[in-house]
Amino acid sequence: MEINTQYIVISPVLGELKWDGIPDDAMLSKQLGWLDFLKKDWTEHIIEARQGFTSVSILWKNAEAQFNFQRQLKKIKIKAKELSSETWEIPVCYDSDYGPDLGSVALAHRLTVNQLIELHSSTTYRLHFFGFLPGFPYLNGLSDQIHTPRKSIPDRTVEAGSVAIGGRQTGIYPQESPGGWHVIGRSPIVLFDVNRTPPVWASPGDRLKFNPILPTEMEKLLETPPFPRKR
Amino acid sequence: MSKELAVATILKTGPGCSVQDLGRSGQANFGIPISGALDMKSFAWVNHILQNEKYNGVLEISQPGFQLQFDLPTCIAIAGAQATVRLNGDIIDGTPLISIKPKDVLEIGAFLSGARVYIGVRFGFKSPKILGSRSFYPGLTEEPYFSKGDKIKYFVDFQAANVLNAKVKLSTDWFENEEIFAYPGPDFHLLNENLKEKLLSEPFRISQQSNRMGAQLLELLENKLPELPTNPVFPGTVQLTSGGKLIILLKDAQVTGGYPRILYLEEESQWILAQKRPGNKIRFKLKEL
Repeated sequence: MEINTQYIVISPVLGELKWDGIPDDAMLSKQLGWLDFLKKDWTEHIIEARQGFTSVSILWKNAEAQFNFQRQLKKIKIKAKELSSETWEIPVCYDSDYGPDLGSVALAHRLTVNQLIELHSSTTYRLHFFGFLPGFPYLNGLSDQIHTPRKSIPDRTVEAGSVAIGGRQTGIYPQESPGGWHVIGRSPIVLFDVNRTPPVWASPGDRLKFNPILPTEMEKLLETPPFPRKR
Repeated sequence: MSKELAVATILKTGPGCSVQDLGRSGQANFGIPISGALDMKSFAWVNHILQNEKYNGVLEISQPGFQLQFDLPTCIAIAGAQATVRLNGDIIDGTPLISIKPKDVLEIGAFLSGARVYIGVRFGFKSPKILGSRSFYPGLTEEPYFSKGDKIKYFVDFQAANVLNAKVKLSTDWFENEEIFAYPGPDFHLLNENLKEKLLSEPFRISQQSNRMGAQLLELLENKLPELPTNPVFPGTVQLTSGGKLIILLKDAQVTGGYPRILYLEEESQWILAQKRPGNKIRFKLKEL
């Protein structure tokens, strides 16, 4: 089914492509198709294009650029981009030492901790975009059984590497930060490295799969944090 | 001509002092905020009167009690918040350009109006460039903010004082204005008429919970808006939380957010806001496209 794309103007230099509905692979394919097109045909007129779940915002260099874009909008035909077939394997230690909210999330959904771990680690997630913090991956595909509203009062400190659930999404904290998501485990991998180009290893559209590891292996991996492997 | 490097040492600093430049645009796809000077008007003016490049690094000071010692001669310029400025203990008044001799100590004392002082140096402060910018940002640069004893590099300039024309200080009237102009944000339509009316007619005060990521407002706007899918935000986006808090995002804000985006500040209003202190009043004025 064709997804309808709308463009709204926010300010003379800021506008947003938006899609209705719940974010899924089809919406992501469409967004990535638009982002490729903007990069190819409009890059010299754009300061920055930012991606979210149901929008792509465009900050234009000037009002004239946005005006010209709007005028040509009707004629633009975008081919949805085929999503990547890459799958990254992410080791995660689902242990209460590393996932302080493991017990409370399981309880809230009337699951055992093992069932929760099974539900979280058996799914292959789709990376939609990086946001919140440098290198924080927003992952889609969380089982409905474990959707969990964000905490009403955020935690002051969430450790780097924390694997967490927020609403219908899951993600990994690349650095220590305050945070409102429920932390159910931790990964020893490096998510963001300013000394590498690009500083992240995955791209929007890639898939991620969490592999449970034991605390003994976790301790070993934390000594020299690895980059993840492709399946 | 190759230039000789000199070092300035921070003898005293409050929290939140950093080097800022134009920031890092074009890297939001990695989750990297734009950063850069909060008050671009004062930042640009400092580099302008020093005849610097417009991207040169400038110090952004947001607390009184800042002391900096220069080891070699140069020329500096100060703008932004109005503060008591001392050089080797003597009050400097009326000129934004100050010649620096070896071992001079510059001090920023009490803030009289405004919230951020900008100190530029001839050819710019040379903190390390990370991903194309010298702007400090927690997790990207070695330090999130300066602390006592830190050293910053700059280029020596014996001639600066003769080359540059002293000018009168930039007036600070422009940021005394309470009016903040904003466009309706992508989620403005979710507000009912009563909430729109409140938002656009009542004054709001800046809360203590404000930093380079965002300015929170004290008065709440009780609402029943839904939690939304995470979507892009920018410096200038006004978010409304389910608890009724209004958060105006600033230069270090995250690149995406899940709260309704109800307003988007015009650029100059973002600079005005950067000079508002906790307790200062603002009024939102809606701009139509």
